[in-house]
Order: sequence, then structure tokens, then C-alpha cells
Amino acid sequence: MCWMCDQFGDPEYGNGVWYLNPRNYARNMYKLRAPGEGFKGAEAGLETGARSGPGIGDLLNAVEKNDYAEYHRITGFMQGRGQGSQIVPLEHADRVLELSSPIGLIACICRKGARAIDERNELEYTCMGMGVGMLKWERWPERYKGGVSFVNIDEAIEWNHEMDRRGFVHILMLFGAPFIGGFCQCDYPDCGALRNAVDFGIGSLKSHYVAVVDYDKCNGCGICAQRCQWGALKFEVTNEKANIDLFKCYGCGLCQTGCPRGAIEMKWRADVPAVAEVWT
Amino acid sequence: MTYPLPMGRQFPKISIDLEKCTVPFLCKKCLQVCPEAVLHVTRVMSKEKRLEEMDPRVDGNYVLYAARRDKCTGCNLCIDVCPVDAIKIEVPEQVRVKPRVAGEQWGQQ
Repeated sequence: MCWMCDQFGDPEYGNGVWYLNPRNYARNMYKLRAPGEGFKGAEAGLETGARSGPGIGDLLNAVEKNDYAEYHRITGFMQGRGQGSQIVPLEHADRVLELSSPIGLIACICRKGARAIDERNELEYTCMGMGVGMLKWERWPERYKGGVSFVNIDEAIEWNHEMDRRGFVHILMLFGAPFIGGFCQCDYPDCGALRNAVDFGIGSLKSHYVAVVDYDKCNGCGICAQRCQWGALKFEVTNEKANIDLFKCYGCGLCQTGCPRGAIEMKWRADVPAVAEVWT
Repeated sequence: MTYPLPMGRQFPKISIDLEKCTVPFLCKKCLQVCPEAVLHVTRVMSKEKRLEEMDPRVDGNYVLYAARRDKCTGCNLCIDVCPVDAIKIEVPEQVRVKPRVAGEQWGQQ
């Protein structure tokens, strides 16, 4: 169990996994945000929170100055401001979509920034927002980069499976823990959440699963190796099978959903002792 | 398990001439060619203008900046592709990284 589960999980729901606890989707959760620096809520300004506090640029400056105390302070702040994220495999993603309401498809701000990809209508949207915060998007569409297209649960699940087929990682985004405000579909290197996790080990928690290869079923076709965004899965030339480094595996489940032979099993992280508490 | 960056490493200095590069969102050549997605484009924050008024085709509404310069390799693909020669990259001389000794990396000088 991760530290989010310790704080916000309920053993009665989903084995104590925090994002399967229905209480975390309550409407009043939107107002019960973490107080303090960097998170004053929507009342203080529409863009408060995401843009405040030190960023990656300050982190790089600290590295260049060989200032470990500053580096530690910034990463600590980024972890502590309640704006983290967690990777979830596809089956858990379906259950999250059943719990959350409303669900809206939106344009991805990371792809817009990194590759200047302008998603202007619902056929192009590659990001998902959820919770009552989306009503704010509907109210001020001109303020929120391209508007929102609301979908029902079945459409959302179907859309999410299509994103999985295309090879995007599903990441739950927190907007003041434990309020879940977004559901990102990420890849490396375009997406901020995934990139911070891979490059600096900050921001994201790994999922509650790890992927393990069944060597009897694997025929070495290499499809899974194209789908891993984390550099954890590679084609091992010696025995011509897929090979997964469990320390690097984030448990997104893309290799499992892509495997034509069902040779990859998602194993509960707590059942693999050495990586049971490896969350970043 | 992510290993932290080696402390004290110097990253490339990337400078962008904003007088030459005026419509990065429309041009986007450098953004799409970079293998490490170092360069990012962002909207200029403005209290007066709303997003709907921020047309990417108009000069000065969007700016190019080096968001992830730790990953810049100095491959110069963006410089080759830039039509207005707005990007300059200075890669500092790299110090040879010594083999890791336990404790040394964490600032014990």
C-alpha cells in the first residue's frame, strides 16, 4: 500500500486502494484542498496552484550549483503540495471512471506545450478531466484552453480503451490530495507527469501492480517492447524473450494489454517483496 | 527506481532570440524535431487578454523557451531546422564523471 492508501484508503473498498474509495470522489472534496503555500484554491484565481512554487527550472539550477539542500527542499515541496499523480492499469482505470462524475474530454496541455499540438475539437482531445472542477471549464471555456466535451461512463471507458490501444499510459492527476481532477493519457517525452517521474523520480506514484513475464507463453514477438514508456521492458537478445526490470516497472499495464499471447501477468506489488515499497 | 541527477553537473545554456522567433506555435519546426522535447512553447501570461484572444498566429502571444535543458544533448537539430536562426546552444565542457563512491555524490565534497 502506498502512502496515499494509508491516508485515504478504506479497507472495505478495493482492497484499501485509495482511488477506489468512493469517499474520495465526494463533491465537497473539491473545497477540502490542502491548505498553505501554493494551493489557495480556485477562489484565489483561476490558475492558482499549478503555476505557483518552485519548478523544474529551479531544480536544475540547484543541481548546477551543487546545492543538495535546495534540491531536496524543492523535490520535497513538489511531493508535498498535494498535486501528485498515480499510474493506474486499465482495469483500475475502468473502475475509476465508474466512480467519478462528471467526466469530460479536454485538450492536453502538455502536448500543446511540448510539441505545439493544438487540439481544438472532441475528436482530437487526448486528455480527460473529471470531478466537479470540470463544470468550471464548461462555464469559462475561453479561459480553459479549448473547451470540454462531456461523456457518459460507457463512452469514457471506450475512449480510454482506445487510448490504451494507441499506447498511452493512464495517470490519475491529483488537484489537492485526495481530490482527483484529471486522468491523463501520457507518453514520454511529451507529458509532464510521466517525464518528471522518469527523469527526477518526483510527482508520480507507481501503480499497485508490477508486470511479470511468463516465459513459457512469451514467443519474443517484441510488441510489448514498443509500448513501454519507462525503459523497464526490453527484448532480451540472449533468450529471445521480453525482460522486465521490476525496479523500473511502473505497473501501467500497457505491455499486458498489448501482448497477443497473454504472456504478461500483472502482479500485486505488495506480493513482490523487494519492490513492495518502491513507489517512485 | 529513479536515480537522482549527478549534483554539480552543468547543463547546456539555450538562448532564444525572441525578436527573431515571433510565432513559435505556428512554425513549431524545432518543437517537433527535438528528440528529447527540450523546447516548450507557452502562452505569455497576461491579465488583460483572455485565451480566446491569444491567437497563436499573432506575434508575441506565444514564446519558445527551453523547459528541459537538462536533457539537451547539443545535437543541433533544432538549429539546423530553424528558419530564422533564433536558437543558440552553448554546451559547457563536460567534466568526466568519476566512478561513484558511496556517500560522495551527496555533497560531501
